[in-house]
Amino acid sequence: MTAAPSPFGRRYTREVEPLRIALVQMAPRLGLLDENLEHTHQWLAQARRDGAGLVVFPELALTGYLLQDLNADVAMRVDDPRLLALAGDTEGLSAVVGFVEESEDHRLFISAALLEDGELRHVHRKVFLANYGLFDERRFFAAGSVIRAVSSRLGVRLGICSCEDFWHLATPALLALDGAQLLINISSSPGRDVAAVNEVGLGTASSWRWMDRTYAQLTTSYVVFVNRVGVEESITFWGGSEVIGPAGDTRFSAPLHDEGLFLVDIDLGDVRRERIALPLLRDERPELLLRQLERLIRERAAEDPLGRSAAEPAAWEPEAEPVL
Amino acid sequence: MTRPDAQVAPPPADLELPEELAIDTGVAKRIITEFIRAQLRQAGFERAVLALSGGIDSALVAFLVADAIGAESLLCVLMPYRTSSPESRTDAQAVVELLGCASTLVDISPMVDGYFGTDRGDPTTLRRGNLAARMRMAVLYDHSVTWGGLAVGTGNKTEGLIGYTTIFGDAACAFAPIGDLYKSQVRQLARVVGVPDTILAKRPSADLWAGQTDEDEMGLRYRDLDRLLFWMIDRRRSPAELTELGFEPAVVDRVARMVAAAEFKRQVPPIAKLGPRTAGVDYLYPRRRPGSERR
Repeated sequence: MTAAPSPFGRRYTREVEPLRIALVQMAPRLGLLDENLEHTHQWLAQARRDGAGLVVFPELALTGYLLQDLNADVAMRVDDPRLLALAGDTEGLSAVVGFVEESEDHRLFISAALLEDGELRHVHRKVFLANYGLFDERRFFAAGSVIRAVSSRLGVRLGICSCEDFWHLATPALLALDGAQLLINISSSPGRDVAAVNEVGLGTASSWRWMDRTYAQLTTSYVVFVNRVGVEESITFWGGSEVIGPAGDTRFSAPLHDEGLFLVDIDLGDVRRERIALPLLRDERPELLLRQLERLIRERAAEDPLGRSAAEPAAWEPEAEPVL
Repeated sequence: MTRPDAQVAPPPADLELPEELAIDTGVAKRIITEFIRAQLRQAGFERAVLALSGGIDSALVAFLVADAIGAESLLCVLMPYRTSSPESRTDAQAVVELLGCASTLVDISPMVDGYFGTDRGDPTTLRRGNLAARMRMAVLYDHSVTWGGLAVGTGNKTEGLIGYTTIFGDAACAFAPIGDLYKSQVRQLARVVGVPDTILAKRPSADLWAGQTDEDEMGLRYRDLDRLLFWMIDRRRSPAELTELGFEPAVVDRVARMVAAAEFKRQVPPIAKLGPRTAGVDYLYPRRRPGSERR
């Protein structure tokens, strides 16, 4: 597990690639950056003692969620010594940590950092900000504009994203096409709808469970979902972190609402076995997707609110055959 | 040990839980107890006070608070008025004894009657009821200081939505654990946590005079009202769609008006915007943030 990555970030998959994942289902303290940093150092130390190779923290683990105008007070640049000190704790480890990132031009992002071998290796800026119902993220944060997988010391590419990003199909689709074999979603998901008919008694949990299993199966990848716990104002975060295997099979479900570090052992070789048996990714057609998306974007740009059909002929143009 | 359920008469049919309102009581209880603990901790408190009336709402909240922080940290304040029913007091005392929490009794009759006296005409029931609710609030907040605990709200979603509350009276609190549960759901959860059957079985009442019930006053059964509010508010059905679901158009119209008319009771009063940053408008912070806890 600690073998050095090849210059290409990949190495040949052995039949059994054991990986111990630590899911840190923690309750960040709202606005208390220093305290949360300290707890994160402690969780990392515990995960290391427990033999984890990958440690995953929730979205905004270092700051809490309902920040509103506290957002700028807890923001860190990617060269912030406190963030780099946290990276310093990751010798021989991979860790994904949620924080508020301030860019050089002072935009604030909900970001996820990949820390490995003492370095900050990658930052994902939340692309799809939740801004409806009880969510108001767009008022306080800028939206990221990149969805890409990243090579890792673990020998496989990781697809890191943040909470609402998963509610858009493009996210798992792009990450898998970009070579991710582990999709990692870090969340601050508030629980709602306690109707008795819901699976595990909570509507939000039912939705996420459906989503995680479906994405794992359709991308033939592992899905690692880490959701926080704790209470902020009216909302209670429900935890229920999970690891789903590449066949959509549940490997682990953490209890709802309990804080804790949960260890899950997986075999990365299962991704290869599933993809040989079920070559969905092989058969994806990104060039077709791109052509159709370009058509849709053209049509939308020419959309007439009164519904007149000036833009329609474009839809009737025969599609050019792909040149392969 | 099993509970002697067989000896308990089933509730009247119109007190039964509408199917679509049934909640997962285990998850709801967990969320509410986490919520209570967090509200206190984040405010720097370990204790709580609440007004215990003998009705189902405050009984449920008392059980939930005792479960969340321990009965020894809870003070129940019983505040009867001279026209309150003696059964209410008996039922409230039963809750106190079951939980083993602290309690105190403050008769608010002298406060209410002292204000109205003889020279303010004959106050309407509404005025008397509102003043009673606000005297209880004042007494409760005084006990909040002496007990060193936060005042826990006991209002439910049904009364909050239709405005069957007194603003700055029973609606005043530090936080509201059951404010998102309809009355039918309050009863479902109360049954599970062990609220006594006598409280579960009786008709909800503001207890302002003998024989008063909420349902007579509102002219609606909670069961019907809860279902209507659920489809109207939570499921976003239009008046036409609600009629198709079988609700009387006149009732739909009346309840929709009650909900709209009570909007002011559910919100912080607006501040006239003058400066660069105005609380609640463009100065937005969580209620509990670093430095906000009591020291």
